[in-house]
Amino acid sequence: MAEEKTTIERELILELAELLTATGLTEIEIEKTGLRLRVARGGMMSHTVSGYAPGPTAGAAPATGPVAAKSPAEHPGAVKSPMVGTAYRSPAPTAAAFIEVGAKVVQGQTLLIIEAMKTMNQIPSPRAGTVTQILVESGQPVEFGEPLVIIE
Amino acid sequence: MFEKVLIANRGEIALRIQRACKELGIATVAVHSTADADAMHVRLADESVCIGPPAARDSYLNIPALITACEITGADAVHPGYGFLSENAKFAEILDEHKITFIGPTAEHIRIMGDKIAAKDTAKRLGIPCVPGSAGAVTTDDEAMAIAKGIGFPVLVKAASGGGGRGMKVAKTPEDLSVALATARSEAKAAFGDDAVYLEKYLQKPRHIEIQVLGDGKGNAVHLGERDCSLQRRHQKVWEEAPSPALNADQRASIGETVAKAMRKLKYRGVGTVEFLYEDGEFYFIEMNTRLQVEHPVTEAITGLDLVIEQLRVASGMTLPYKQSDITFSGHSIECRVCAENPKTFRPSPGKITYWHPPGGLGVRVDSGAYQGYTIPPYYDSLIGKLIVHGKNRNECLMRLRRALSEFVIDGIETTIPLFGDLATQKDIIDGDYNIHWLEKHLAVD
Repeated sequence: MAEEKTTIERELILELAELLTATGLTEIEIEKTGLRLRVARGGMMSHTVSGYAPGPTAGAAPATGPVAAKSPAEHPGAVKSPMVGTAYRSPAPTAAAFIEVGAKVVQGQTLLIIEAMKTMNQIPSPRAGTVTQILVESGQPVEFGEPLVIIE
Repeated sequence: MFEKVLIANRGEIALRIQRACKELGIATVAVHSTADADAMHVRLADESVCIGPPAARDSYLNIPALITACEITGADAVHPGYGFLSENAKFAEILDEHKITFIGPTAEHIRIMGDKIAAKDTAKRLGIPCVPGSAGAVTTDDEAMAIAKGIGFPVLVKAASGGGGRGMKVAKTPEDLSVALATARSEAKAAFGDDAVYLEKYLQKPRHIEIQVLGDGKGNAVHLGERDCSLQRRHQKVWEEAPSPALNADQRASIGETVAKAMRKLKYRGVGTVEFLYEDGEFYFIEMNTRLQVEHPVTEAITGLDLVIEQLRVASGMTLPYKQSDITFSGHSIECRVCAENPKTFRPSPGKITYWHPPGGLGVRVDSGAYQGYTIPPYYDSLIGKLIVHGKNRNECLMRLRRALSEFVIDGIETTIPLFGDLATQKDIIDGDYNIHWLEKHLAVD
């Protein structure tokens, strides 16, 4: 019986691991009757079998690497779009992007362009810091208040 | 027919428009300010775009943001609802330049009817009866007296640059005229920088009766009967009904045909409402609204037509499929505008709706974007829903209205539901015997 259970879980774990790779997620946790399973990238895999009330997973290791805990919009370093439009990461299709992840920026430095009704609007950085995340791609429609870049 | 309509409005009317689009299989885009992110129509729309902060100027009136929202979603038409940009000719033109259909009349017709003096001239030209008055501004007191005697006292001295009920003085008898002229002129100069005044016949106890029209822009138009909107507070309609208790079938047919003929001549496209003051059997044109009106559901109730679907059809180029003889009226309908306000003081009451139970049953319709747990934002007008009832006749309609009002529960905020409960038991209302001053007089007594 125990072997059967291990087989079922093993397949599930492998499937989740594949999902992690395919989607670029760092952590997946599932729960159904009798089973709670968490698979995290770069850390240890762990599982708990039924019989225990739902609680902290025994021997669970926190995932290493960046964990997206809150939504980007709530991140204190988020730079939000001041208008509705289309985002572009470079001043022209063939030119280099204004910033890349890891870049150090100063206050007022152009991060990207938002095009609205054929006018190009430069989006300045509100403060000095390091670009830790770029949340949009060139040509992506954005709405008012949408997080564009995280500067920490 | 359109593939995707962007709804450039909010609240109950945005949901109303969304419903018609859905029935026709049209994809919908809900644009909203940050304050409306959890509005019901936003939740139900196929796509939503946040276009700005709460202030209407930066969101619902923000033309560049609206155009851009159309561009990024690929909307091929915009429905402007009522208020906001619905009668903004420039908006209609800009959409036209971007090859996006404005669901409404042409910019030219919006413009003609938006200018109150031009509207009156156009109405006269089209054979619509107007309030008798001076042809333009009056210069000397003697000229004014001659005109006033021709119109018949009492007369109203109105500022040419005025509006919203301001800059008007009544002269009850010839003796009052020169004082009325002088005060109107000095007030107009102070308020509007222009002391030009004109004269109009003053109607003492008129009813507000408006005619709903529908045209296809190709010279075909029909009228869909009248609505009586005399119950107003500070020029805001509070309770509307169709048909008017004051008109008989002949009067209805006569004024309706006059207006429909005018719309055919104008080649008007879309829905529109021609508003009149009605007194002693005579109609006097005041203005035309070239858009869908708040109170359109009472007309839908008695004609069986969905006016937003009709708007979508004529806007997409279809020919009007109705002749006047196809339009029939059945029963009676009353609408109550439920506002988030104290029912006695009318102080606005935004806040969270903790309990929401709308009435139901045969002949009861509630148009509202509110729901249990919804927080009414403080940035916009206080209308949170419309209760529309229909009955086989006015009596049955009133009975149904009283029942529906007693069943309607909105907790957590104050609403004007108790006011309607009171009105539905007033003798004058039950008799249909009221005019545009009735409600303010009734409220002053309490």
